[in-house]
Amino acid sequence: MAQANTGQGIGRVERLLFTALPLSALCLVLWKLARLELPLSASLSWVPALGIDLAFHIDGLSALMLLMISAVGTAVFLYAGGYMAGHSGQRRLFVLLSLFMLAMIGTVTADHLLVLFLFWEATSVLSFLLVGFDYHKSGSRRSAQQALLITGAGGLALLAGFLLLGQAAGTYRIREIIEVVPQLEQGGRLTAALLLILVGAFTKSAQFPFHFWLPNAMAAPTPVSAYLHSATMVKLGVYLLARLDPAFGEWPLWELLLKGAGSITAAWGMILALRERDLKRILAWSTVATLGTLVTLVGMRGEGASVAVGSLLLAHALYKAPLFFVAGNIDHGTGTRVIDRLGNLRHSMPWTAAVALLAGASMAGMPLSFGYIVKDVIVEAKSAGEVFAFAKAANTIFGAVAVAVAGVAAVRVFWRHPGVNESCEAREGSLSMILPPLALALSGITLGVFPFFAQGLIAGAAGAMVPVPREILLGITLEFGPTLASLALSYAIGLGVYISWDWLHERFDAAVQRIDRLGMAAHFERLLRGIPRAAAASTRFVQSGSLPAYVALAIGTLSLLLALVMALGWSSFAVPALGGIPGPAVLGACALIAAGALASLFQKDRLALLLSAGLVGYGSGVLFLFSGAPDVAYTQFTVETVFVIVAASILLVLRRSGRLSSLPEARWRPAALALAAAFGAVIMLLLFVASTGPFDPALSDYFSETSLPQAFGRNVVNVILVDFRALDTLGEITVVLLSFLAALPLLALRRAGRERKAEAE
Amino acid sequence: MIPLLALTVFVTVTAGVYLALSRDLFRCVVGLAMLGAGANLALYAAGAKGSARPAVIQKGAEVLADAANPLPQALVLTAIVIGFALVCFALVLLLRVMQYAGSDDADRLRLAEPRPDDPLKPPSHSADCLPVYPREDRS
Repeated sequence: MAQANTGQGIGRVERLLFTALPLSALCLVLWKLARLELPLSASLSWVPALGIDLAFHIDGLSALMLLMISAVGTAVFLYAGGYMAGHSGQRRLFVLLSLFMLAMIGTVTADHLLVLFLFWEATSVLSFLLVGFDYHKSGSRRSAQQALLITGAGGLALLAGFLLLGQAAGTYRIREIIEVVPQLEQGGRLTAALLLILVGAFTKSAQFPFHFWLPNAMAAPTPVSAYLHSATMVKLGVYLLARLDPAFGEWPLWELLLKGAGSITAAWGMILALRERDLKRILAWSTVATLGTLVTLVGMRGEGASVAVGSLLLAHALYKAPLFFVAGNIDHGTGTRVIDRLGNLRHSMPWTAAVALLAGASMAGMPLSFGYIVKDVIVEAKSAGEVFAFAKAANTIFGAVAVAVAGVAAVRVFWRHPGVNESCEAREGSLSMILPPLALALSGITLGVFPFFAQGLIAGAAGAMVPVPREILLGITLEFGPTLASLALSYAIGLGVYISWDWLHERFDAAVQRIDRLGMAAHFERLLRGIPRAAAASTRFVQSGSLPAYVALAIGTLSLLLALVMALGWSSFAVPALGGIPGPAVLGACALIAAGALASLFQKDRLALLLSAGLVGYGSGVLFLFSGAPDVAYTQFTVETVFVIVAASILLVLRRSGRLSSLPEARWRPAALALAAAFGAVIMLLLFVASTGPFDPALSDYFSETSLPQAFGRNVVNVILVDFRALDTLGEITVVLLSFLAALPLLALRRAGRERKAEAE
Repeated sequence: MIPLLALTVFVTVTAGVYLALSRDLFRCVVGLAMLGAGANLALYAAGAKGSARPAVIQKGAEVLADAANPLPQALVLTAIVIGFALVCFALVLLLRVMQYAGSDDADRLRLAEPRPDDPLKPPSHSADCLPVYPREDRS
């Protein structure tokens, strides 16, 4: 076990206090179950303005989940005390696990979609922190990032789906939603909500095509893998689907997607399990496959399927968590989890071997284990409901490979391959590493022998999905029929797979390696690598470092925005009045402006360019002069003259360095011309639009009326500038002054440089 | 009146933007000035109401009557002066840049944003890329 850099180990008392948390929850759940006090609900006003209450409701399904969370939690907390003994990050682990448990309890008891989402996201974040527990290893960090990105993205989809669903249903209370939604029309909004929620649930429960993050999450310490990534968190997706099953269960799309994705995941997960050599990853893939089976069962109609969901949830928690503990014990005792290097461990680790046998029997569905009853229920449900052939085949693969995986985990590493790991001294761990898995595995067997203990619990959980009219009976069926035939088939195939495990491994590894490139994991990696590339490309497009490109981008964006605004209000614009024909002076001025502007486009010589551009200014002056704006005209003439003088003096300097003519450039730049014409057209249209609207003379009238009485001036334009808007004019003068002040040092620098050069010469 | 002015504004603004899109910095500054002139014309045209007589209150009258709208005139007047200051400063800056960087080609001025040398990472500012003192001052 690698040592983390920070944190401290913790003492026995503190460990017990932490363990008391799940233990007290377990006692409370058992107490409530025993006294038949369910369902319970509570509500606390939280954000009344948005109608969000901290609403909780515990029914049979929630109780089943709570039982798993607290029972496996207690085992995990106890186990972690032994497994992580002396590890410096132990306290961090316990704090994170406690927080995670609280988040899980919140998720499975929440009765408000947004409250559920809040806790759901908390589990994703805590999963990230726990997968990346050994944060000094780059593999852990990568796996944690992958898990967070996938479940986090799914969480966003889930939020969007929840909002759509809540809006469509008119309520965010889950109990009300499942009553309202079946009566609603199956419109586009509900379909979108359904798809988004499915994305959220599928990412959380590692369903195809989001299945690949779960085995990578095995970078976490074993207690974390057993708790989060097998028994509880990954079941949240299944929980949510089961919770919403009464709302969407009648939809063909719901049924199709759940059965389709679930079956693919079940079959594909088991095939990928054959590729692995790491015991933990083998178990992880079989978890993925189990989750697929659960999703398929949720998608099926009928009470049989609902009972199967409840029993498989419970059975899986009871056998998979101990098997993870077994993998942890083996890792702890021998230092490896690779099955090629493990064998004949029954002598050195007898208790772990016993646990593995008990849990493996349940996983394989051997008679007298709870797994057997579950298999029975599943087969019955599938023969009762309408299932397509693919789902049936997937289930057969799932059952068969489950037998094989159980064989590898329970038989192969303990009873076969003697002499493989004789060199290393395998040893049994402390008592806290044996008792918790033993307790869990034993309860799996107990429930197999006395199934009526679980009956009420399973019936309650199934009742959340369908009304269960008659008392369900979990029992050991002894009738010969399709059930036994199917079981026998899966045992036989499973045995075959187990015996030829190594041979199959080589074949599958070689075959799947060829399509790895096309797999979802590879796509995900490509996506991650593409993000910086896309960022670089977009940054370099927007921020190219070229001045013309910046001008083009700014002008183009402005043109588009203005065009968009005008297009939106197009219907409300009137045709502009042509007005009277202007006088010859105005006509001449306009001709002068246009001639200057057009001529400047062709000038190679900079002085000629300056003079042509000057025509535009002087033309504007003439226009102002003859249309009743003499003050503006005088200003324009003055400014234009001074500008030409300034520009000409700068040209004189340029002449000294031989830069009187423009840079050689293409005679016509069509793209630039098109953009310029587009912008000009938009401005022209804007002017038309502005002139057709109603004219608001309020300000003009105010100035016209108050100019003489209040400011004692007859020239209204002057009065506006120096009296009514005097501060504005002050600002204008300041700008002129500032530009002069800014230009001075630039010119002075120039002079200094020139003098120094002269001195040097 | 409006169609004629609008057409004039179109020609001026188009020519201004076309010049501003040039890689020659001098043309760019002249284009900026022309764009400003076009904007002034547009502003003036948008508020041009009333007759063509100067906005001066007649002797004996208390209120302005039968004259051009004074408000856009005041605004345009301010705009002309500010535009002038801006363009003059741009010209001086241009002169300085040409001496400092030795080029008046906008495409070759890459001091602030060097060309990328890596497909992903932002371009690095190498030491000789950012002279603290003007080139001729370092001799």
